[in-house]
Amino acid sequence: MFETGLRQFRLALSMVQGRRLDPRNVARLVDDVLATLAEFGEPGADAAELVDGPAANPQDRLEITNNSLRRTALRLAAQSPFYARHFSSAQVDPAKLDVAALRAVPVTVKADLIERPGDFRCTDVPAFLATRTTGTTGRPAEVWLSRYEMELWPALGALASVLRDELRPGDVMQVNISSRATAAMHLSANSCRLAGAGCRPLGIVPPEAALDSLAEGGATILLTCPSYLAELVTAARRAGMGAGDFRLRRLVVGGEVLSPSLAQAAVGTFGVSFVEDPYSMTEVAPVSGRSCSQAHQHYDLNLGYTELVGLDTGEPAAPGELGTLVITPYFPYRDCTPVFRYDTRDVARCLPDAPLRCELAGIPATSKILGKAEHVLRLPGGEVVTPRQLIEAIEALPAEPWPARFRAAACDGRIRLTLPAGAIAGYGEAEACRHFAAAGLDVDLDIVGDDQAASLRRTRSDLHEATFANQHALVGA
Amino acid sequence: MPVPIQPIPMWEQTCIEFGVILTGAIIVCGGALTYFRRVRMERPAVGTFNARDVVILLVVIGILPFVYGWLPIPLVTCLLILTFASALYIGYRPLVGSVGTWLGIGLLFGFNIWSSNHVMGTLPGWQLWFVEQGIVVALSAIAVCNLYLQGGMKLRHVAWLSLALAGYDVIFAAYYPLTGRLIARYLTHPLTPLLGIRLGYVDYAVGLGDLLVYSLFFVAAYKAYGARAATVAAGVIVVMGGLATAFIPFLFNFTNANLDELVPAQSLFGPAAFVTYLWMRRHYGRERTMAEYLASQSGAAAAPRAEQAPAPEPASV
Repeated sequence: MFETGLRQFRLALSMVQGRRLDPRNVARLVDDVLATLAEFGEPGADAAELVDGPAANPQDRLEITNNSLRRTALRLAAQSPFYARHFSSAQVDPAKLDVAALRAVPVTVKADLIERPGDFRCTDVPAFLATRTTGTTGRPAEVWLSRYEMELWPALGALASVLRDELRPGDVMQVNISSRATAAMHLSANSCRLAGAGCRPLGIVPPEAALDSLAEGGATILLTCPSYLAELVTAARRAGMGAGDFRLRRLVVGGEVLSPSLAQAAVGTFGVSFVEDPYSMTEVAPVSGRSCSQAHQHYDLNLGYTELVGLDTGEPAAPGELGTLVITPYFPYRDCTPVFRYDTRDVARCLPDAPLRCELAGIPATSKILGKAEHVLRLPGGEVVTPRQLIEAIEALPAEPWPARFRAAACDGRIRLTLPAGAIAGYGEAEACRHFAAAGLDVDLDIVGDDQAASLRRTRSDLHEATFANQHALVGA
Repeated sequence: MPVPIQPIPMWEQTCIEFGVILTGAIIVCGGALTYFRRVRMERPAVGTFNARDVVILLVVIGILPFVYGWLPIPLVTCLLILTFASALYIGYRPLVGSVGTWLGIGLLFGFNIWSSNHVMGTLPGWQLWFVEQGIVVALSAIAVCNLYLQGGMKLRHVAWLSLALAGYDVIFAAYYPLTGRLIARYLTHPLTPLLGIRLGYVDYAVGLGDLLVYSLFFVAAYKAYGARAATVAAGVIVVMGGLATAFIPFLFNFTNANLDELVPAQSLFGPAAFVTYLWMRRHYGRERTMAEYLASQSGAAAAPRAEQAPAPEPASV
């Protein structure tokens, strides 16, 4: 108890002073949480504050944010060649930066990171592990991470997870994301190690193999992406498997839009109470977002600063307006290849200007992620159609065409929607149009053969990994 | 003309001392158990008592007497005020609220400081002073006992602590009589950590530390194994903490005419408590955790936590 107090004090002191945290200290705090849970069954009062930070006082929060932004900018100006030039050309003094002055710093875009990755790397820290974005929306970006980051992030992740009962000793987490997502794999495995849980990093293997592993391997947590979840649900139904065949207590997806139809089907098939749909992104790690019971997306306050910038204005999005998420991970949480005001191009809607009433009300939020900015359709009269609207409508079709394969374009003031024939099987084009109209989408359908489905829209589940046991997987690879 | 007070026979003094220890133990152990069963203290988000905490406690217990012996008396008083006030505030805020607790602390301490300076010198004055001391000491022991036990201290920890304190008591009471010197130096000053009574010329008292260890052992046994184990623990406290401690001077006649002697109570109680713990572990098995104890009280499993949120998350494009 005395030692734990000392560790918490050390952690808090490092956070307040903006010094690098000691990952071993955080890892020992995870042990302390496990011991606390073993003795008391639950953490004590104020556990949420330990994870989410003291969000109660807006004035304190603003001061912490300003200090964190200044500290991060000062380090980048000194250590990152890209940002030294970036701040200089924008005539921004990092020492005077605060939330109000932040808009003077131009956003960083993915093209910068792809074209000049070396310029982003800080010169005062050795690189340890390279991780790449999966590249489903274009050329992948490479992000180098330091050993410190690879030790700190799992420790922080495990600390939050055990405090929130997301990970328990004895859990088995099955990870079905691309094996090339090295950082995410490393993070999952090491968080499990620190929490006393098991981890089975499988990758995007044939769904039948993943289902076997889920059922017979006794996994209690499944971590995957929505498109692969869709394949798992379909394969499980085909094999006659249901909730009784699995021991899952949590199902977590990320990286793509999850539709309510798929979520509902997954709940029924795997026997979980709901599907968790957090937000994260390689480029802005370790900043992440959590969804609440009222379908808001809440963004981490302690590890970074999240803005919602209007798609058209470049100014902070007004209530009800669509914006792109611009995220700045703070030092000392982001170390090796940091970004500042990184434009994720992930679109969300600004929530109405009224106090939130959800369980995470103290943490800033937007609507759920609605898709990538590049895929937003603009129709005459200012109407905007987001990828989420299309995915939700398509995946709600009676044929259950999961994951949704489609191509959409604005054509003569209407949406031209290309779908594979299987998506409207047994439903007819006219009926399908009425289905979309009921969802508020005025579409002209263009039906193509099912063999062209995968080329219409790439999903993460397309990154199939072959196994010797399932040679047919090579077909989809 | 004052009536001279004759020393009473030693066996009578022994019986009175036994009565004082027994009374103190019953008040503190009973109070601590009642508190433990009825009041839930706030605890920090993370942290439970462990073996290293026992070591830290022992180090503090080892150093503190030297600090008390070195500091001027007024500073010792300040330190004791801080210590007692913290214990009482943490312990009784859940019961009477912040304002009530501070008011109670102020009254208790104020009266204690006043009586230490104004009513001593007469037998009724001493009696009054001892009663005030007793109230503060008993309330503090009950609070600290619960702070440790509700913070996760186990019977195992209490047993090891008792055993270590046995060695401590032998050293600092018999070979290097620091404890006795401290009491002689500080007695009559406010917040002396003793619960006792004065009869004639003789003070009969039991120390706060002893009462705390007795209550820890008693309530920890109850938490770990239930009422039957607590009864066994109570027996050990009465026999080794009370009877043996009170009668040792009489039996071995190592005192002077009256019983003005410090008896290292833990040196007798500690080994007995440790052996009793070993027996309980062998007899009853694993100790209950706090969650298991609470579940046994409510007749239901410890409530699962409702909030669900994401864990380590996959990276995205």
